[in-house]
Amino acid sequence: MSASAKAFNALGDPTRRVIFEKLRDRPLAVVDIADGLPVSRPAVSQHLKVLKEAKLISLKIAGNKNIYEVNREGILAMRNYLDQFWGEALDNFKKLVELTEKDNKQQ
Amino acid sequence: MESINLTTIKKELTVEASQETAFKVFTQQMDLWWPRTHHVGDCPMRNVVLEPRKGGRWYSNHENDSEFTLGYVQTYDPFDLFVLIWQINGNQQYDPELVTEVEVQFIAEGPKTTRVKLEHKNLHRLDDSKAIESMDEGWEYVMAVYKTYTEQ
Repeated sequence: MSASAKAFNALGDPTRRVIFEKLRDRPLAVVDIADGLPVSRPAVSQHLKVLKEAKLISLKIAGNKNIYEVNREGILAMRNYLDQFWGEALDNFKKLVELTEKDNKQQ
Repeated sequence: MESINLTTIKKELTVEASQETAFKVFTQQMDLWWPRTHHVGDCPMRNVVLEPRKGGRWYSNHENDSEFTLGYVQTYDPFDLFVLIWQINGNQQYDPELVTEVEVQFIAEGPKTTRVKLEHKNLHRLDDSKAIESMDEGWEYVMAVYKTYTEQ
């Protein structure tokens, strides 16, 4: 499975999307991530593992705490393909539509 | 603050053309603006075909005479709104179950000025793997196998 497919797959789960949204605001320890979530701590750990394997988040050790944070590289890699595709497509489209408009005027 | 929306791609541009021209070029001349470097499969693409009507087919033809379905037209509302259903998943494969919307709005800002807003939605659905569902289902499967073995 490609990196982007992995990332899309990881975000297919609603709980993981909530966790990911939390981490987008700021890096958090596991205890803070679990806070307010209607799932058990082991379940949270499983979700974190999936997100980490999809390279959407990364782990850093601060003192005796495990802190999770958003992995910018993973996100950008995932969106890169389609974002680039539509960018190129619309650049081409703009050139063509403006040429077509000019031709229409001359007729 | 930096904002990255993971499940949506938004693009917006202004073109110096009427709303009608913008809509027609987008929907009826897709083959002329489609980036040639992007196609499904290994074989070079010959052209991309879009049937400009609601329910119209959307596919590409390739040099070895093969054809790949990309999706279909969900909304064809000249000259304001056009919605394509993109059915190519994260592994570059066609998936008939997959529905991600490419919504394109054409907003007339003047007789020769049109704002084009494109939004590719629900990208989290691009998951291609039926094997790796949620972790919960994975564990359910493991437990079922375990149960079968232990009860033998």
